[in-house]
Order: sequence, then C-alpha cells, then structure tokens
Amino acid sequence: MRPEFKDKIMHVLFLVPTLIAAGMLVMMLAFMSEGIGQISWRFLSSSIFEGGIFEPIMGTFFLFLGTVLITMPIGIFAAIYLVEYAPRDSKFVRIVDQAINNLAGVPSIVIGLFGYTFFCKILGLGISLVAGWLTLTLMMLPIMIRGTEEALRMIPQSFREAAMALGATKWETVRDAVLPAAMPGILTSILLGVARVAGETAAIIFTASVLTMRGLPRTPLEPVTSLTFYLFVLLVAIPKTSYKVAFGVALVLFGIVFLFSAIATVIRMYYRRKWKW
Amino acid sequence: MWYGRKHVLKNINIKIPEKRVTAIIGPSGCGKTTFLKSLNRLIELVDGVRVEGEVLLDGVNIYDSQLTPTEVRKRVGMVFQKPNPLPKSIYENVAYGPKLHGIRDKEELDKIVKEALMAAGLWDEVKDRLHDSAFELSVGQQQRLCIARAIAVKPEVILMDEPCASLDPISTAKVEALIRELREEYTIVIVTHSLQQAMRISDYTAFFYYGELIEFGPTKKIFEEPEHELTYRYITGQFG
Ligand SMILES: Nc1ncnc2c1ncn2[C@@H]1O[C@H](COP(=O)(O)OP(=O)(O)O)[C@@H](O)[C@H]1O
Ligand SMILES: [Mg+2]
Repeated sequence: MRPEFKDKIMHVLFLVPTLIAAGMLVMMLAFMSEGIGQISWRFLSSSIFEGGIFEPIMGTFFLFLGTVLITMPIGIFAAIYLVEYAPRDSKFVRIVDQAINNLAGVPSIVIGLFGYTFFCKILGLGISLVAGWLTLTLMMLPIMIRGTEEALRMIPQSFREAAMALGATKWETVRDAVLPAAMPGILTSILLGVARVAGETAAIIFTASVLTMRGLPRTPLEPVTSLTFYLFVLLVAIPKTSYKVAFGVALVLFGIVFLFSAIATVIRMYYRRKWKW
Repeated sequence: MWYGRKHVLKNINIKIPEKRVTAIIGPSGCGKTTFLKSLNRLIELVDGVRVEGEVLLDGVNIYDSQLTPTEVRKRVGMVFQKPNPLPKSIYENVAYGPKLHGIRDKEELDKIVKEALMAAGLWDEVKDRLHDSAFELSVGQQQRLCIARAIAVKPEVILMDEPCASLDPISTAKVEALIRELREEYTIVIVTHSLQQAMRISDYTAFFYYGELIEFGPTKKIFEEPEHELTYRYITGQFG
C-alpha cells in the first residue's frame, strides 16, 4: 500500500468518530431547542399547578444553597488542615485522602440509599429538604476538598516563606499569603460542586422529594422538589406529558448548570492572566 | 543540620561581623541556602529537618526555647532567590511586616512604607501606584519591593539568597548599589553565585564546599591570597 493512501485511510478513520460525536451533540441541542418555545416568564414564574416550574426552580436553589453552606466550611477547613497543617505523607493523611477518593467514586444512587437509611430513617429527619442537604453534602464534599486541596497545593512554597520570613505565624501565613492566592481556585471548586449538585437526581429521589405535587417547603423538614426531580416525575409519573414541557425543564436545568461552570471558567481564566507565578 | 538522614551542614563555625556585608560562595548544592535559612529558623518549615548546635544573635541562641521563630524572624529578615511578593498591593506588601508586629496607626504605617520604599530605591517608581497589585511590577522591581518589605520590619540582619539570580544586569546593578547603601545600617549575609558580585559588594567572604566551611576572611584576602587549595581552585574557576 502506498504510504499516501494509508495516510488517507487513517485520516478518515480519525474523522468518522469525530463526526459521530459532533452529530450526537448537534442532535441533542436540536432536541433541547424544542424547549425554547416553552420558555417564557410565565413558565418560569408560575406554579407547577398552573403548568409552570416555579417550585422546582426554587427547590433546586434551596437545595444547593443549603448544601453549599454546609459543605463550604467543612470542605475548606479540611483541605487547609490536610495541606497546611497535617505532617506531609503522614499515615493519617493518606487514609483520609483514600477515603475521599472512594467517596467521590460512589454512585450517587448508593449515596441516596445511604442518605435515606441514615438521615431519613435513623436520624428521623424524614424525606425532607434537610435530609437532601446532608445527602448532597456527601456528594459535594469530595469535590470541594479535592478542589481546595489542589488550589492550596498550587501556591508555591515561596509564598509561605515570604510571610513566614517576616515573622508571620502559621495561621497568619495561611490567611494572608496562601488563602488569597488560592481563592480563585477555591471559588472554582465551589461552583463546580454547585453545578454537580444542581444536576443531581439520584441522591434526592429517596431523601428530599416525594412524588405528590406540592408547593414550596415551609420548613427544612418538609420535602422539596427540584428541576431534576420534576423532570423525572414528568417522564415517569404523569401520563401524556408534553415533551415540550420536559425539554423546557431540561433547558432551564442545563442553563443553570452551564452558567455555574461558565462562571467558574471565567474566574479561573481571569486570575490566571492576572497572577503569573 | 540534617534533611532526614542527609547530613547537609557540618560543623560550621563562623562569626558574622556586624554591619558588614558577608558573602557566601560555593558550588551549587553545597548548603548555602540551607545555611541562610538556619539563621532565621526558616529551615524549620521543611519536614524532617534536624538542627544541632547554636546560632547566637547578640549572645542569645535563636534556637533557644525561650524565643519564638516569630521573634527571631522579626530581627533577621530574608530576601529570596526568586522575588516573592505577597498577593497584595505594593503598599500592603511593605506594611505587612509592621502590621504583624502590632503597628496599627495609619500615619505611622504610611511613614514606614515610604521610608522602606525610599531605602529600596523604589519610591519614585511606585509612589503613584501604591495600591496596584505587586504582581504588576517588573521582576527587578518586585525584588526591590521584597527588600523594602524586609527593611520595613527594621531587622538587625538581612539574609539574601542569590537576590540577583533572576534579574537582568540593570536591575542587578540597582540591587547591588542598594546593598552597598544598606551596609551602613544592617548586617547583611548574601549568597551569590557570581564571584564578581562577591568582590564588588562584600567585606567578608565565606567559601562553602559540600556542607563545610572551608575558608572565611576579608573578601580581599580570600580572592587575592586564599589559604586553601580548594578556595584557590574555586575562585580561579577550576570547578563550579
Ligand atoms: N528539603 C530538602 N530535603 C532534602 N534535601 C534537601 C532539601 N533542600 C536541600 N537539600 C539538599 O541539601 C543540599 C544543600 O542544598 P542547598 O542549601 O539548597 O544548596 P545551595 O543553596 O548551596 O545550592 C543539597 O544537596 C540539596 O539536595
Ligand atoms: Mg541555593
């Protein structure tokens, strides 16, 4: 076979999968665009009892707000401890690291099952917003700790030396030299965590939401519905759902997740350009 | 001085003269940085480090449990090989040390910052942009900012670890001029890779080789009539 010919074949061989992938994306976008006609102020702001999706939007918001408030302090403190305080390569750190990795790899439905058994039943929180927060925390925590750890480890040792050499204590060094420089990275991991939580379904199916249609929770002990869960309900429980509504919900969900990821990317790019070290 | 099992500094006995510039020379990896960091206890940041012996500052051992590292580092400042401004404004970089040590008064801080920047020969270049990020300065300016930052704490000793290694010739000349001026008020210990630089700026020179102090004396003497064969070979460029 002539080498030029062989090269052409290889060219095609690499091109075809690219086209398939691109084609699938385009098709998905085409389907999603079905939902565009659905999106209107009325759709977004009226209750599910009137064909809108106000409760699922607010529910998604409540869910990730609470989860972030619980996860952020725990995740950031744990990461600071692991990177700045714990003796490097200690056995304890290795075990914790391994545990975090394992937690990150657990399928969300299994986390949901655990959340249901532990938070809803054993702790008696029932199927509720707060049980949802705690379960989602289990999902977001590994992302948060990993991301923050990474952001802290990216800070060159010379930053710490700079503060230390002026007589700063350990904590002053972390506060003034390390954290400000790591902040963009930490923020990015929070936003990526939020994107993950906002798109999560399996973890809240058993823990935070119920199939009956209901309004917004009045206390954290009441169930809540989210965009993901509402989509699930539309497809499996309500006969003759118009696909247009389902795609409308999907589009809003996609928009929210995309927004958070995009903000995270912009922050990262901005700081990368501003601080070169 | 050990890193884990590795014995890095052996039996170093040196009396660094006050208010003079002492240059440390020697091939890469001979322990110059390690020596410098053991003079302000920065060495303790490295895991698995073990220090034996004492470092006397005005007759007091800085490793004495009575002293905290913070107190030691307030009196013994340091400038690093690569400029390392803090992620703060130019002003805040210089004011940071004094703030750590309890100075809160705005006017007093302003005064310290101005004096330190002037002493570092940076004031005219930055006086209109004190609140810009320190990362916006050129590398040479950043290094002078780091010197200003060290001065602002009013230390007795300033340690410099190859402060010109990442600078261009013009910035290097500025920093060297600066060191000559600071000599009046501070005890300076400077590590340098450049023998010419050691000759130009130092009063005394110490030659290190594989963790040992081979020779120490007035710079003129070290470069003109060294006592050790090794020193002679090093300064005549027979090994690096
Ligand atoms: N953190 C560390 N852990 C283990 N060994 C180190 C560490 N830092 C430096 N060393 C070793 O100690 C020796 C002296 O290093 P250093 O003081 O940096 O030399 P110099 O500044 O003269 O080039 C080198 O052999 C180096 O490999
Ligand atoms: Mg060195």
